[in-house]
Amino acid sequence: MTEVESSPEAAKRRFRSTLTKVLVVQAAALAMLGLLQLLYS
Amino acid sequence: MHWFNWLVVIVYLAWVVVDGIRKSKGTDTIAGYFAANKSLSWWVVGLSVMATQLSAVTMIGTTGQGATDGLRFVQLYFGLPLAMVILGVTLVPLLHGSGVYTAYEYLERRFDAKTRSLTAFLFLLSRGMSCGTIIAAPGVVFSAIFGIPLAWSVALIGIPTIIYTMIGGVQAVAWADVKQMVLIVVALLAIVVVLMFQMPVNPHDALQIAGSTGRLKTFDFSFTVNETYTFWSGVIGGTFLMLSYFGTDQSQVQRYLTARSVDEARSSLLMSAYWKIPLQALVLLVGVGVFVYYQFVQPPLLFNPAHEEAVLAEQAPTYAALQTRYGEAFTLRESAALTVAAADGDTQAAMDEFLAREADIQAIRGEALALAEDVTGETSRDVNYIIPRFVLSELPLGLAGLFIAGVIAAAMSSIAAELNSLATTSVIDFYRRWVEPEATDAHYLTVSRGATILWGTFACIVATYAATLGSLIEVVNRFGSFFYGSILGVFLLAMIPRARGTGAFVGLIAGMATVAAVTFGAPSVSFLWHNVIGAVVVLFVGLSIGRLGSTTADA
Repeated sequence: MTEVESSPEAAKRRFRSTLTKVLVVQAAALAMLGLLQLLYS
Repeated sequence: MHWFNWLVVIVYLAWVVVDGIRKSKGTDTIAGYFAANKSLSWWVVGLSVMATQLSAVTMIGTTGQGATDGLRFVQLYFGLPLAMVILGVTLVPLLHGSGVYTAYEYLERRFDAKTRSLTAFLFLLSRGMSCGTIIAAPGVVFSAIFGIPLAWSVALIGIPTIIYTMIGGVQAVAWADVKQMVLIVVALLAIVVVLMFQMPVNPHDALQIAGSTGRLKTFDFSFTVNETYTFWSGVIGGTFLMLSYFGTDQSQVQRYLTARSVDEARSSLLMSAYWKIPLQALVLLVGVGVFVYYQFVQPPLLFNPAHEEAVLAEQAPTYAALQTRYGEAFTLRESAALTVAAADGDTQAAMDEFLAREADIQAIRGEALALAEDVTGETSRDVNYIIPRFVLSELPLGLAGLFIAGVIAAAMSSIAAELNSLATTSVIDFYRRWVEPEATDAHYLTVSRGATILWGTFACIVATYAATLGSLIEVVNRFGSFFYGSILGVFLLAMIPRARGTGAFVGLIAGMATVAAVTFGAPSVSFLWHNVIGAVVVLFVGLSIGRLGSTTADA
């Protein structure tokens, strides 16, 4: 592991950025499922 | 099945075994055999992680569940993306960076030998038995569909898997997983394409019909611990379940220990975080599509051909009467479905009529299932036969073989990971730790290959006697659910500096005891919440007695 990888600030930044990206993709997937439910159920 | 479909299956099986053996290069040391010399790219590990989790039950049972119950099952996975991100910044760097071969090995470094041995033993106990059920599930279905003895279908799935896992170790397993994951997705997409071309109504009308029966209802926001498939159970309970599975279960941990670096290990888990929910939605949508298709093409009254045969042999007149009623009810429902599809604007009356006819069909099917259960003395799992029957009767030549190969691939990828992790844990956490600590790599490799064969043979025997061992397997699986969350609790404790070995060990036992008490005392509480309860109790008890015992902490 490099210094940069183990730095808590860098880890925190990476975590936030990854969390944001994953949440955006999941939100899009869930929105599509929600839309199906709203339109057809 | 047509010989050409069998040819597709056999070519696929031969390819996986031959390529698995080819991929055994560099696995003549334990670092190579158990961790692929930490040489695999993130995408290989990521596909391996996904293939391991996606079992044959997903291909046949979950698609069938989509046909009977719709999309709501997908809520189980709502916690997965968050769990993957949390693991990426907590356990993954801890385990990957510490140079261990098993997750439990880390627990001795952090706590003590007894905590390591107990968690490793619990893993062997639960996974050893579940490996048999992973083979048994598709084995039983193939046996009924193709009319072959269960032992043959178990051998068809089990033997090639044992061969490439035994020879090539984790590297062969990971590369086989890549092929298997691609095949699984291709097989699912093939069904989607066939459904789109063969569906007698357009996609909007198909969705209208599916929606009117509630099969497009994904979200249930009610908060009740007794229901598994709700938004909150999925987000909270599901997060804990996925943290336990991907963070502490050796069959998954071993996948990302093979990655080149911590960042590649993280990326491999994020592949699941991004794709698991869409993939699971696709699996369920395939089932929903088959449900709509069967509104216009009459399906068999009983999907399990073995049950159908047994009923015809013993209760032919009763079954014939049911089939006559079923045929009439089907015609009425088909006409109602066409009315729903043709209705424009206000479709409520057409939908009410359709739902009434659908209820008639379900009532007749319920009678047939009860009859089958009476005749065979077996619990009917007809839902597992919906998709295989559809595939064999409706898919074009070659594609049916591709799907069957996909189901076998899904089973093999899960079993290979189980066998590989069972052998690794047996050798690293018990044989090398307690029996022969100073042997050569060649010696450990021989023992590991022997362990793979032993676990594989044990799994095949359990699978072959799945029907007679049914209640025993259920007990073991139930026991397994007692400690999943509790083991997660131990790993969470490992990340807290003031936690100590005795606290972790006592906490683990307290966590399991609490979950056992909840299981028997409040059986209506969904299993998803057991993981939350187990982890929280271990943390609480472990920290409360944290000052007791000794630590060999290196964290």
